[in-house]
Amino acid sequence: MFDEVFLPHMAEAYRLAQWLTGNAYDAEDVVQDAALRAFRGIKTFGAVNARAWSMTIVRNTAYSWLMKNRPKVVTFTDDLSEDERKELEQEGPLRARIETPEEIALFKADAEDIQQALVQLPAQLREIIVLREINQMSYRDIAEIINIPVGTVMSRLSRGRQLLIDLLETRK
Amino acid sequence: MTEPDELELNAYCDGELSPIATIEFERRLVADKLLRARYVRLLSLRRAIRAIPQSEIPQGLQGRVNSRLDRDRAGQVGRTRQPRWSFRALAAAAVLGAVISSSVMLVINRYDLREEVANQVVAGHIRSLLATQPFDVVSSDRYTVKPWFKSRLAASPRVPDCARMGFILVGGRLDVVGHSPVATIVYKHEAHTISLTALPLRETFADQTIAGYNTRSWSDAEFVYVAVSDLPEADLATFEHAFSEGSLERELPHEHPGL
Repeated sequence: MFDEVFLPHMAEAYRLAQWLTGNAYDAEDVVQDAALRAFRGIKTFGAVNARAWSMTIVRNTAYSWLMKNRPKVVTFTDDLSEDERKELEQEGPLRARIETPEEIALFKADAEDIQQALVQLPAQLREIIVLREINQMSYRDIAEIINIPVGTVMSRLSRGRQLLIDLLETRK
Repeated sequence: MTEPDELELNAYCDGELSPIATIEFERRLVADKLLRARYVRLLSLRRAIRAIPQSEIPQGLQGRVNSRLDRDRAGQVGRTRQPRWSFRALAAAAVLGAVISSSVMLVINRYDLREEVANQVVAGHIRSLLATQPFDVVSSDRYTVKPWFKSRLAASPRVPDCARMGFILVGGRLDVVGHSPVATIVYKHEAHTISLTALPLRETFADQTIAGYNTRSWSDAEFVYVAVSDLPEADLATFEHAFSEGSLERELPHEHPGL
């Protein structure tokens, strides 16, 4: 059972862990811990969506691992004040200005620029972008993994992308 | 650009709009130069993110995971020999229970069971209509259908006779939901087929229309039932009533002339 549910998603699990922890060594630890958790908890698997189930465990493991081993690195949404959270999920002041099509320049960014911009994002926005663009999960799966409503997935995703674009454009 | 526009644009890029909303949005894209520019910019952001080289899983990680699992297996065997009220076991159970069952199971219940399972039940109905007959065992006799289920499933639902209310039992079949076989009872109402799937779950589903079929869900102490049919909602409500009433009658196999 465990072999069919968790193991096929190991490579993806590693990729997600790498983005959440920020480095390859920590990611290995997280994947090992997550595999153990999944193995022990395999009975709780509802035979429905193995991939989302596995990634939920990887994400939760990554955050508890970070909290234990790198407490300074990570801020959780739950730690944010109401205003900060709103600010994260809603339109920032930047968005109020009206752009013309000509102003919306196409940016050219190399992989390194993008990677740095992603690292600068708040963790809550970064994980959404990673799950959507790199793991290519659906909104529903992301909502399940992070345990937030689909509407929040949508607003964070939109906000995260806008922030990335802003970061990449000010870089020039 | 308003916030709803922005969310819709994102959802469009992610292929998350319904087919109808997609067509409408594409019409707007053609007409709206600003929207189109934003769309192209989102696409170039996506291309850039996906171009970041992703590292492969390190060599040996799989092996290290396996050996840790092996140690855990060995540890679990050893642990069962320890006294029953070991604090470690209790603490581990509490932590694992809290972490895994609450966060994972609740979420799975909330999203997937509802959507996925309902979809799979309806898929079973559609498949059965495409087959030569919508059942594996053909019988208008509930004392044939019930034992047929009983011999194949760990738990089988009651098979009430609802003929008085116009719902004629025609047979039963096994559907597969998740990876488990489940019982589906087939009734006819005039020219319409009703598939009634009994799921070993607790929570019912929201009544909804999937792929043009109406679904109706209710539960009793043993099962969650999902009825699928092209009947109007009102008739499915009558069917639920007929089925629940019929289920209340005691099943007395010895009353059956054949037994």
